Amino acid sequence: MSNQNVQRLPAEELYQRELDALISAETDPVPTGWRMSPRSALAYLTGGISVKGVEITPKYMGSRRLVEIAIATLVTDRALLLIGEPGTAKSWLSEHLSAAVNGDSTKVVQGTAGTTEEQIRYSWNYAMLIAKGPCPEAMVKSPVYRAMETGSIARVEEISRCASEVQDALISILSEKRLSVPELGLEVPARKGFSVIATANTRDKGVNDMSAALKRRFNIVVLPAPSDMATEMEIVSTRVAQLSAGLDLSARQPDGDVVEKVVTIFRELRGGATLDGKQKLKATSGVLSTAEAISLLANSMALAGSFGDGRVSDADLAAALQGAVVKDEDKDKLAWKEYLENVMKKRGSAWLPLYRACRELNG
Amino acid sequence: MGGPVLFGVRHLSPGAAYHLRRALDEAQPRLVLVEGPSDLNGQTHWLCHPDTQFPAAIMAYTITPPVRTILYPFAVYSPEIQAILWAHAHGVECRFMDLPSPVFLALQAAAEERALAEEDGEERGEDVPEAASGGPLPGKDPALTTEAIYHRLESLTGEDHDTFWERTFEQLEAPEEYRAACNTFGIQLREAAQDNIARTAENLVREAYMKRVIQDAIDSGVPAERIFCVCGAFHVQGLETCQPMTDSEMESLPRLDSAATLMPYSYFRLSSRSGYGAGNRAPAYFEILWDAMNGGKGIGEAPCLYLTRLAAAHRGTGNLVSSAEVIEAARLAEVLRAMRGSRYPTLQDLRDAAVATMGHGRFSELSLAAADTEIGKKIGFLPEGVSRTSVQEDFYRQLKALRLDKFRSPELQRLDLDLREKLTVKSRDAALGDLRRSFFLHRLRVLNIQFARRLPSRQREANWGEYWEMRWTPEAEIEVVESSLLGDTIEGAAAFALKERAGASSSIAQAAAIFSDAFLCGMPEAAKHALSVLQGLSVDAAALTEVAATAEQLSLVIRYGSLRQFDAAPVVPLLEQLYLRACLTLEDACVCDAQAAPAVTQAIDSLNALQLNHDFLDEGSWLSLLERVSDRDDLNTRCSGFAMAALLERGAADENLLAREVSRRLSPGVPADLGAGWFEGLAGKNRYALIARLGLWRRLDEYLQELDEESFRRALVFLRRAFANFSPSEKNDIAENLGEIWGVNVQQAAEALMNDLTSAEQEVLSSLDEFDFDDI
Repeated sequence: MSNQNVQRLPAEELYQRELDALISAETDPVPTGWRMSPRSALAYLTGGISVKGVEITPKYMGSRRLVEIAIATLVTDRALLLIGEPGTAKSWLSEHLSAAVNGDSTKVVQGTAGTTEEQIRYSWNYAMLIAKGPCPEAMVKSPVYRAMETGSIARVEEISRCASEVQDALISILSEKRLSVPELGLEVPARKGFSVIATANTRDKGVNDMSAALKRRFNIVVLPAPSDMATEMEIVSTRVAQLSAGLDLSARQPDGDVVEKVVTIFRELRGGATLDGKQKLKATSGVLSTAEAISLLANSMALAGSFGDGRVSDADLAAALQGAVVKDEDKDKLAWKEYLENVMKKRGSAWLPLYRACRELNG
Repeated sequence: MGGPVLFGVRHLSPGAAYHLRRALDEAQPRLVLVEGPSDLNGQTHWLCHPDTQFPAAIMAYTITPPVRTILYPFAVYSPEIQAILWAHAHGVECRFMDLPSPVFLALQAAAEERALAEEDGEERGEDVPEAASGGPLPGKDPALTTEAIYHRLESLTGEDHDTFWERTFEQLEAPEEYRAACNTFGIQLREAAQDNIARTAENLVREAYMKRVIQDAIDSGVPAERIFCVCGAFHVQGLETCQPMTDSEMESLPRLDSAATLMPYSYFRLSSRSGYGAGNRAPAYFEILWDAMNGGKGIGEAPCLYLTRLAAAHRGTGNLVSSAEVIEAARLAEVLRAMRGSRYPTLQDLRDAAVATMGHGRFSELSLAAADTEIGKKIGFLPEGVSRTSVQEDFYRQLKALRLDKFRSPELQRLDLDLREKLTVKSRDAALGDLRRSFFLHRLRVLNIQFARRLPSRQREANWGEYWEMRWTPEAEIEVVESSLLGDTIEGAAAFALKERAGASSSIAQAAAIFSDAFLCGMPEAAKHALSVLQGLSVDAAALTEVAATAEQLSLVIRYGSLRQFDAAPVVPLLEQLYLRACLTLEDACVCDAQAAPAVTQAIDSLNALQLNHDFLDEGSWLSLLERVSDRDDLNTRCSGFAMAALLERGAADENLLAREVSRRLSPGVPADLGAGWFEGLAGKNRYALIARLGLWRRLDEYLQELDEESFRRALVFLRRAFANFSPSEKNDIAENLGEIWGVNVQQAAEALMNDLTSAEQEVLSSLDEFDFDDI
């Protein structure tokens, strides 16, 4: 039914089989407006089991407890706010949560500096407004509006990027659970099951602080960077595999040791110390998140598939690493060079080809 | 079945305590036996005293070094305590039934020796004897120990063991259910876990002993079914099946001489001891559970109690928490509980919910309030006269007499003492109250009892103030008990400790430190002893700096001795000796390199101060010594310069002498490091005298002008160091001088001196850091 040629399918279509299996095997009570019980939603997100012969893949590979708290929040009809550094799977988790609860993760307001209050509430089709005057047909409902009408979940991405008056528009919606349309004399009450999942960045340029009044209306879950090497490697290799299947990259999956190298470099530069903790390193200006590691590997696969022999070579990797690490030209370049000479060079023969390739790019 | 009732519990579990009391009510036993060292039955009487407040602990300790201790901590929700209290209230006999504490201490010692032997064996690559007798060695097969079973449970449930226990057992409301669950857990744990030989053996020995105690009770005529035993769930099956210990086996148990005492305990300490049975992480929360269970509304009230207390504590630390947030937290905890399928939210659920609603997603925001609500500051109390060691008794008596008892709390408190005799009060005791307190606190310090910590003095010119920071911890109590090995009173123990330290000291600096400790403790005898040790050592001491530093310490005692009511007369001869030795070695010590020079000038400075402070030290010989140092050309010039400064300060050098010295030391051709080094020494003291003498600056200017580039850079290093710690106003005055010499505006000169360095200048200066000083 869905068009397989779209670049990126929403979660509920990509994992439809899993969702269907979980719904058909449901034994626990299902809250109003939900498609499955909280426990099934948890199973969908953390995975690792098989239901009716369908393998449930893990969607979020971090603390299971955090997912539990997130789902429990939605059960209490409170709004959920996911906070974390860039690339800690906030939007990913939010998308899958709404896919699990509603089977619809597309009611999204993308928060930007240019987001207006109308995009949270409603706006008008002006041609029709002028022709017919205010009438329900002339109204353009926002995703939040639609979610209130249908009793489902609306997502607000990057809420901290919105101006504060836009953030404030959410306050009355979240506390009153009603939206008034004075032009039509309408009061739209939110149906049971309505909730909002917002995501916010803590460490980025150009974010607005959220007011205490708004924060108070959310249950807040802070998503951490992956706690250990093994978890991060698992996340990276799983996601790279999924991504490359979706993008039809004609390259082979990168080997385990390639992933290991990338994750090692990222973790070391992010943490400002080598993994064994023995050597301090200069930190770079970029965040070097897990998400970046994933896209870096996908990038090198694209390079290898299109211009190489289909195997991710050290030269491809070096080029991709260069782009990811060196953001703010001078400072990062220095830190990267130091890392190459002080750490990578001394790692032994397995790292030597990558070291040489990186070295070449840096003169 | 007719046998004694075996009630399996988890130590420090409110649920167990609650059900235990119900079970006792039902069984109406004639004898209650509790897992605990059977030689300490005398202590239970005090645990039931109406004034006793929990947490409290029984501590058994060996009476010979090395001190070994074992602790049995109890909270009000300990099943053992509730059994003892129940028995006391119902007039039923109650006894401990576990191995006596001397045996436990001996077993502990044996285990340590075994661990040491094993380490040695591993180092040498040899097999330890036990290896031959079969079975895995202690610690060799970590997969099967009880701890490992707990870890497996944790990975299976995804929750830590405490939460698992709380969710599974603590919330059971029907008594039969609880007992069945607890016993099943104990039996299965026994089957699944295989601890190492030593630990298994210890458990078997303990069970055989307990069985023997039960058997003895039956033999003495108590019907078996009227005996009620409270023991760890783990031991229930063992007690059902094992044979009682025989007389000969009892004879062969190892023992160490020991004594025992009751001590107040604290929730903080209870929470910091980990491991099954030894403590629990959230004592204050468990008390909430216990209160809720015994309150009208049952355990279901605990979540509200916890969340409201947490919110109150969070508000107390200056944060805003609305009631709405507390309500949301309760709702969220309820859903989390439902997802895990337990009857009530556990501490973990409550805390996670509170973090999401009140803590903005970060536990760190709530951590203070959480520590307050979960761990708490509660500290136990024991009535007066509870059997204690004599040192403890002395300690508490003095605490009361000195009115320091209000500091016996876990809060950090400040105590400021004024050591001067108060002339306005009548009794001598009151007049010297603060001094006595100071003596007492210093004695505790000498005994390493971590109760009071001395803060640096805030007084500049006077010496009568002492500032302390006080905080009481159960560790301090243990340390008090430990010092009973050294003597019977605090003073006696401190004297013994000082004497031991004095005997072990090998340098005069150490001996002097001990002497001043004895002085601060107000213990003349100990001070005399330390002094004689010091005297003995001082004969061989030759290092000028060490001698000078020691002499300075003694000087302090002589000058301020009267403040502490200390007769300093015996110290005077020793000070004279040390001073003399320092004077004799001073000239030789001045032959040194640039690195050692600062220490020597420091010694000159302190000797100079000594001579000024004490008339009995001969002034004339000191001045002539300074003159010699100042005159000689073959000494380190910095020392010579400093001697010159000292002479100037004391008015022992006139203008002519200074003028002569300046032109001699800074005459053309003198190498830069010598000339500038001399100036550095001169500038080390008495700067106003230098600043006031314009001629000096003119001379310095001329000297620097004629240096070549290379020598100038060399001189710069010394001069920069010399001027580094001049104050801004002093620099300003120098600027004035220079302005006059160079004929420039004072303002401009000052600006040049005070401004931050430009980056170009900075670069030149940092290149000086790499200057080669090898030949200096």
